[in-house]
Amino acid sequence: MAVISVWRRRVGLPPVSVILAVTAAGVATLPLLAVLVLAVTGSGADGYLQHLASTRLPGYAANTVLVLVTAAAGAALIGTGLGWLIARTRFPGRSIFEWALALPLAMPAYIAAYGWLDLTLAAGPLGALPTVRGWWGAGVIFAVTLYPYVYLLTRDAFLRQPPHLEEAARALGRSGASAFLTIALPAARPAIAAGLALVAMEALADYGAVIHLGAPTLTVGVLRAWSGAGSLADAARLAVMIVAIALVLTTLERAGRSRARTAGQRSQPNRTALGPGAALLAIIACLTPLLLALVAPLARLAWHALHSEPARNVWNSSLNSISLAAVTACLAALFGLASAYALRSGGRFAAFPVRTAMLGYAAPGAVAAVGVLAVLGTLQSGLDRAAGGIFPVLLTGTVLALVFAYLTRFAAAAIGPCEAALGRIPPSLDEASHLAGAGPVRRFVQIHWPLASGGILAAALIVFVEVLKELPATMILRPFNFDTLAVVAHNYASDERLGQSALPALVLVALALPAMAIVARQAIAPKRIEVR
Amino acid sequence: MTRPLLSVRDARFLRGRREILSGVDLDLPQGGIVALLGPSGSGKTTLLRAIAGLERLDGGEISTPSGILDNQTAWVPPNRRGFGLVFQDGALFPHMTAVMNTAFGLNHLAGKARRDEAMIWLDRVGLAHRAHAYPHELSGGEQQRVALARALAPGPRLILLDEPFSSLDRSLRDDLRRSTAKLLAASGISALLVTHDAEEAMEMAETIILMQEGRIVQAGPPEALYARPNSRAAARLLGPANIWTGTVREGGLDSPIGHVEAPDIPDGETAHLIVRPERTRVGSGDTFTLVTRTFRGGAVDLVTFAPDGSEWCARVAPDGLPESERAGLSASPSDVVIVRD
Repeated sequence: MAVISVWRRRVGLPPVSVILAVTAAGVATLPLLAVLVLAVTGSGADGYLQHLASTRLPGYAANTVLVLVTAAAGAALIGTGLGWLIARTRFPGRSIFEWALALPLAMPAYIAAYGWLDLTLAAGPLGALPTVRGWWGAGVIFAVTLYPYVYLLTRDAFLRQPPHLEEAARALGRSGASAFLTIALPAARPAIAAGLALVAMEALADYGAVIHLGAPTLTVGVLRAWSGAGSLADAARLAVMIVAIALVLTTLERAGRSRARTAGQRSQPNRTALGPGAALLAIIACLTPLLLALVAPLARLAWHALHSEPARNVWNSSLNSISLAAVTACLAALFGLASAYALRSGGRFAAFPVRTAMLGYAAPGAVAAVGVLAVLGTLQSGLDRAAGGIFPVLLTGTVLALVFAYLTRFAAAAIGPCEAALGRIPPSLDEASHLAGAGPVRRFVQIHWPLASGGILAAALIVFVEVLKELPATMILRPFNFDTLAVVAHNYASDERLGQSALPALVLVALALPAMAIVARQAIAPKRIEVR
Repeated sequence: MTRPLLSVRDARFLRGRREILSGVDLDLPQGGIVALLGPSGSGKTTLLRAIAGLERLDGGEISTPSGILDNQTAWVPPNRRGFGLVFQDGALFPHMTAVMNTAFGLNHLAGKARRDEAMIWLDRVGLAHRAHAYPHELSGGEQQRVALARALAPGPRLILLDEPFSSLDRSLRDDLRRSTAKLLAASGISALLVTHDAEEAMEMAETIILMQEGRIVQAGPPEALYARPNSRAAARLLGPANIWTGTVREGGLDSPIGHVEAPDIPDGETAHLIVRPERTRVGSGDTFTLVTRTFRGGAVDLVTFAPDGSEWCARVAPDGLPESERAGLSASPSDVVIVRD
């Protein structure tokens, strides 16, 4: 009875959004399923996995754990500290640092790694410092490039905490530090956990930095199984291990985020003004991560770019990178918007495909690529059997496969922001426009789009930046002779030709930084549309 | 009697397993304001939303003289019902100016005519000078007036008001109530006002419908409802009341304020005596113990205890205040109501 009445009451669901949401779910989950199936049923190269298990695999696993733990510890320290500083204190430049501190997300970890390794080699300008390499070096690089995930979420959490909590603790005789440790910090714990899960996911997905710094993780193993041993099934078996870790991290992130969200409304921030000495320290604290993540490695690369032969094919690979990133960003935003709509209008019936699509985020690039190869390979052989080979290499080894893999991973990244953007529009506005006779099209054009376009644009830009930075999936799936900036930079760097690697790396960051700046400014803007 | 503007018959609404409306019957007359009064969770907002067409009933029927709006087989979408709705939060479109908001529903007009009509309505709510302000630049009261203009501009047959004044401060609220009532009377549009504020309902409405737990408890003009509640729940909804429970003996209740006739209730049954504090007279005597006196400007509220331990409140003029800590309470038989539930 109740079910029927719910069905009946579900009025005016635009079917397009549900179709797109289901497509997004398929795009996101098919490769993951294919990886699982392949891992269980596929026949690998003879004895490769056994050989690997007795030689390299323990090292991969150990590196993965060490790198993730180091990255998480560093990011927790930097991100939480800065989050609190920005949310709770006032000092010159605070409002600029508020968004600028998110900018390191535009910096691919591998580019930071190129710069830092070169700076700290014995012959480099900072040779006196310990050389940034190995698991701790990779961990530190991830900490300084990925801490913004923790920073953004904890800043939000600190803003949501009623300022009176800490004041009450002070009034009860606690010192400022004690009030922070016993009141503010525990309340922000879910947000910190969610941010750290994102940091760990990104570090787990990385290929370029860990291989450059000589700390190969499981992701490197996947690529080697595929490119070295040529065994997709063995790559899939390694990929399953990564997915297992990633799923644990996603669950952690989801749980943290939902608890963080219930922790109260954002109140009018009540910021302590810092004295001149403390303000100077705060400014230094804010500048340091920017210096470490962006300025130092980019300056080193710029110096190299000026002092060596420029790389060839930078122009072509820029165009490739931009068009791939733009196409994927638009498709992801479309999927994200459709999913958000399906959730808004379809209730529980639409939630399933959308939540399924979110799973795609648990597929690091290398895993997504292996999955896409498996899916497309199956399709291709089916096509060949049916049509007698008149569609040679139609699917694998094409740009289509690349976009597919990117969407598997990044469509999920667009769903969240789109959902948030639409979710901020109070349902009473929809009802008011409905009563005034506006149909779904007019409602979208006149109400939803003007109010949510900022968030939807941000969603597209997040995907744009992520695709620009993406390396392992591109390495596996790119068509022959098709280069992106990331691939060119990586190939030169792995040939120890940092001079040639520098220019494509700089162009990549130059493209990503403005996009990230827009996203960052959007992310720190007040979240609620004030109806009253 | 003329045909009602809108009829609701046996309306049922479920949210999950919970019954929000359990068989509501309601007739809205042509013209005038009807108030739907009840505590939060009584289903009054759901009923309003069902009438607006924002929720669909799980059973029962909503109809107008021109046809059925909602039953198991028929359904008219909200935009074809010709009703206006003012939301509790105003629901002004934040990216549109006051005049754009007001013009939003004027779909039959275009261009200058549309703008002019919107301006006329803004003028009627006294906000022509704020036409180009965005909602966040308007005060709470101004926003609610724009919301009212937006709902009235398309010329609805009925306007539904969902606690439109509840988020405003007191003085502003009184002001806006009066101007709204005046505007509605002038434009001849019928209104259904949902509120949990008894004072607001009594001030604005010609008819009050009391709702509790998804049912209508009592309906009628404010004076009759206030003076002759048909149950303890109805009495409490409209204001403070002394309620005393006892068993009927010899055709009446022997209460601390005296023997009160209860001719319709057989002996031995439990019944409840209801009398409003301002109808409770304080005289000489020593059966009641005075506990607190609260000065309220024109009157003083007394709380007293009867010999049986029951609490009785009385509102008296300051000059009629007893000197001692003991007093006698009574009430005229015409001010006392006896109910069975």
